[in-house]
Amino acid sequence: MRTWPSPSARRPGYHTAPMPDPAPLLQMRGICKRFPGVVALDRVDLDVRTGEVLVLMGENGAGKSTLMKVLAGAERPDAGDVVVDGRPVSLASPRVARRLGISVIHQELTLVPHLSVAENVFLGRAPRRAPGLVDWRRMRALADSLLRGLGTTLDVRAPVSRLGIAHQQMVEVARALSDEARVLVMDEPTSALSAAEVDQLFAAIERLVARGVAVVYISHRMDEVFRIGHRVSVLRDGRHVATRAIGETSPAELVKLMADREIAEQYPVRRGRPGSPLLEVRHLARRGVLHDVSFTLHRGEILGVAGLVGAGRTELARAIAGADPVEAGEVVVEGRVVRCRSPREAIAGGVALLPEDRKQQGLVLGMSVQANITLPTLAAFARCGLVKRRAETSEAQRQIAGLRVRTPSPHTPAGSLSGGNQQKVVLARWLLSHARVLLFDEPTRGIDVAARRDIYDLMVALVAGGAGILMISSDLPEVLGMSDRVLVMRGGRVQAVFDAGRTDAQVLQAALGIAS
Amino acid sequence: MRRVIAGILMATLVAAAGCNRQTAPAGEARPRVALVLKTLNHPYFLDMQRGAREAAGRLGVELVVQAAERELDVEKQVQIIENLVQAGVSALCVAPSGSREVVSAIAKANQAGIPVVVVDTRVDADAAAAAGLKLVSFIGSDNYQGGRIAGEFLVRESGGTAKVAILEGIPGHETGDSRLRGFRDAIAASPGIRVLASQPANWERDQGFTVFQNLLQAHRDLDTVFACNDLMALGALEAIAAAGRDGHIRVIGYDALDDARKAIAEGRMDASVAQSPEEMGRLAIETAVKAIRGEAVPAEQMVAITLVTREAAGAAPAR
Amino acid sequence: MSRLHVPARQLGTLAGLAGLCVLLTILTPHFLTVSNLLNVLEQTSINAIVAVGMTFVIVSGGIDLSVGSIVALAGVVLASALRHDWPVAAAVPVALAVGSACGLANGLLVTAGRLPPFIATLGMMSVARGLALMWAEGRPISGFDEGFRVIATGRIAMVPASALVMLGVYAIGQVVLSRTVFGRHVYAIGGNEEASRLSGVPVYREKAAVYALSGACAGLASVVLTARLNSAQPTAGVMYELDAIAATVIGGTSLLGGQGTLGGALIGALIMGVLRNGLNLLNVSAFFQQVVIGAVIIVAVLVDTALKRRRG
Repeated sequence: MRTWPSPSARRPGYHTAPMPDPAPLLQMRGICKRFPGVVALDRVDLDVRTGEVLVLMGENGAGKSTLMKVLAGAERPDAGDVVVDGRPVSLASPRVARRLGISVIHQELTLVPHLSVAENVFLGRAPRRAPGLVDWRRMRALADSLLRGLGTTLDVRAPVSRLGIAHQQMVEVARALSDEARVLVMDEPTSALSAAEVDQLFAAIERLVARGVAVVYISHRMDEVFRIGHRVSVLRDGRHVATRAIGETSPAELVKLMADREIAEQYPVRRGRPGSPLLEVRHLARRGVLHDVSFTLHRGEILGVAGLVGAGRTELARAIAGADPVEAGEVVVEGRVVRCRSPREAIAGGVALLPEDRKQQGLVLGMSVQANITLPTLAAFARCGLVKRRAETSEAQRQIAGLRVRTPSPHTPAGSLSGGNQQKVVLARWLLSHARVLLFDEPTRGIDVAARRDIYDLMVALVAGGAGILMISSDLPEVLGMSDRVLVMRGGRVQAVFDAGRTDAQVLQAALGIAS
Repeated sequence: MRRVIAGILMATLVAAAGCNRQTAPAGEARPRVALVLKTLNHPYFLDMQRGAREAAGRLGVELVVQAAERELDVEKQVQIIENLVQAGVSALCVAPSGSREVVSAIAKANQAGIPVVVVDTRVDADAAAAAGLKLVSFIGSDNYQGGRIAGEFLVRESGGTAKVAILEGIPGHETGDSRLRGFRDAIAASPGIRVLASQPANWERDQGFTVFQNLLQAHRDLDTVFACNDLMALGALEAIAAAGRDGHIRVIGYDALDDARKAIAEGRMDASVAQSPEEMGRLAIETAVKAIRGEAVPAEQMVAITLVTREAAGAAPAR
Repeated sequence: MSRLHVPARQLGTLAGLAGLCVLLTILTPHFLTVSNLLNVLEQTSINAIVAVGMTFVIVSGGIDLSVGSIVALAGVVLASALRHDWPVAAAVPVALAVGSACGLANGLLVTAGRLPPFIATLGMMSVARGLALMWAEGRPISGFDEGFRVIATGRIAMVPASALVMLGVYAIGQVVLSRTVFGRHVYAIGGNEEASRLSGVPVYREKAAVYALSGACAGLASVVLTARLNSAQPTAGVMYELDAIAATVIGGTSLLGGQGTLGGALIGALIMGVLRNGLNLLNVSAFFQQVVIGAVIIVAVLVDTALKRRRG
């Protein structure tokens, strides 16, 4: 269940019990890190105590990732000290950091898919019977007991590629524990998890904390912060702005600390009603993935798509966008059948996809912001095959300004932008192509509060201009806050369609099959 | 980092220039003679180089020996000749990797007034005439004659009946073609000698092995193999041993390499045509020096061809 | 690394070339002469022309191992056309067509056939070599009119014609790669093929075109080679693919695709040409030359990687 609890609803006893203020397990003092043109960390102080969950918050580009890299030993600070158990240490390499008991679990998991669970847990450190001989039985037994300790039972012989994301994450946690980690850094661990899986992860974190492990938890999700955190530290523009005990703060305060301004409403006000049908999907089918999916999207409408991971939401968007082949059914845009055998044809028909995974599917990270924006429409800037660069740049600049993309120049590589700005670049691309049907797959995943509001505003502006948006999201408040109607998917089928205004979270959860 | 690497690179180059120059230190103005071979990874050309060294030392000239990395690479050989012409040598000896392809490079040497001696493989006569080449002399052995000698040996040994496989060199090379023609002409008069297969093994030992192994599969009754060079013959010997047919198949090679001579002495191989690459190298340098001094030299100088057999092996000069 | 940094990187490679030239000038009096430098240009031209196509392929994220064999095949076809008294104006396009056709076959295998480029072009390497040997029956085909040979041997204001052909190809290639929609697509596909496809880039078409272009460059190289040697050999061009890859990589193109420039490839080819020439002039032994050339390739890529790491 992911609603924002009132402060009093949190675990009783923990904060109310008189807590001795233990000496911090890990201290960072005056950490500075400069990259060409950017101060990523500016004299950051941070304490991490034994047996606590310290939440690290901040907008994209606030310095969370860099701080995490310093902790992991992947980046060396230009100045400042790290103190572990009262002794200053030098985190010269990831190996050194691990030896000191600091483990980092990145957003992109680092497992070897074809190896078994047990092998992944003990990757590179398998217990030996003799030099060069792996003690398989002991390795499996140890892996099994580590996972049980986290409240998970898995077949430790199964290859990791067969596990879901949530279980893979547990394997990563188990690997960290096998390393005898005392500080566990987790970067947005729930971004790909369903609600039930989040519960499982949080239960595991609570067990770890009970054993005295310190967890540094990076997240954008306000509900999680209040559910699992003990203290929260906020970074802004590379500076540490505040640390609060969780009982002494509120979502509103944290948002203000992060953005340095009040963000009035989380979701923008919508005016205007949906108009005539824009996109009609009829009996779309793809074996094992989509079964007889039909629905209509209207002009000026945001149609939310809810469902569990694996319900076929992403597959639906990809099928409409021509990214995956379909076996049956048709897609009609403004009364004309669009042949969606390739993204190229779908784009020509006015359909655009904002993929779930920006880095893998959305952007060419090595290319400039400008080249990414004009990628589908480049031919429009060309005469006799030659690109008119001035026209291209001025159009790109117009989009950059219009969407408030924070980039030093249109020629900056897209990969060096923060997540929110990258998403805006993908959006700019489709604004420029005048797409009418926009398929947004998790448009705000991993994006900070302020940039999130920008994207919401943009969606509203788009539908006000007559476009239609299909918005896939795992964030139920977002689905309810933004959509006109909500389409619930389950097992590749349309389960139900609700009028969002008259639905509350409970109803939606029931439809999704989530026990409250 | 970058400066370090650049430093290493420069040091390597200086070392290359310093330690690896094959030339004597400057100071005395000795004539420089260049010998450009087809390759330096074949014993035949190493022997030629040895002969040339010996002559150069005796005559007091500075010798430069260069060759492309691979025998097939005519374009690289052309580049080497161009660069040597540029570096200014007094005379040039060339064993052409391609008898027509090398013409343009030799023409450049002519233009620069450098006398050119051709060794081992002839320059194509038409192409040379078309380009108006001036060649001091050709030094070689008659490959046709060598092929004939091999064929006559077979006729003599077999008494006129044999089932023969031939391992050819790289198709289209004057050397191999001539040996082949000589061999075939010599056996033409003996109808009992039949050529069952003739396949290229590209002058190489490993290909000689595989090609002959395959031929043995296809023609179980083979009793003779003629290879256009010894490397292929030695490869075929291995294939015969692998098939357990030692002593049942006659092996005739060409070049009389040390390994082949040994195999003949041990009775595993029957014969090999001996050209004298060392003699060619020696003669090439002597001719080049005469040309530098303006002395007259014959337009063609053939070195002797002999056949190395078990009987002759004992008599062959020790090397 | 972005395309933004590329000029800086090219300057680094250029500095390497300049350093090499200075060193050779000090070490041998024969290096820095007009005629020798023109020789270097002539000797570099064939590898450099092949490297143009290779750069397109590598930027698109692929590799083309078949170019050397295509040089041989296009060469013998060209040669027999000339021997059958075809006019040069007809025979040369035939060579380019043969090259493009082989390249297109590579492209179709990679796109429609979904073969990894390494495998597809490895196969073509053998197929084209075999076809060349069959066509020529294993023999060189030689002896052409001066009207054809002028492509390599002619000089305009002292500059060898082959060098002019090379410079022309680079000029055209540079415009295509940096200024056209196609060129942009090549970078995009190499940078992120899936994102490009989802953005409506006709990935298959452009990739097929890239390989066809590489084949055409090999065909053109065969024209220059045949004119230079006055002969076309079915055994020509062995290892040309590796020389071209080396030139491209020395020039700063990443084998991972998505980045690289033709200017870099030209400098890379010149570095290799100057090095071979210099080592000949210095009379370095043939065996040690190979060591030096290999070392230079490794050092060039080491420098590149080091620079990349420093810039983050």
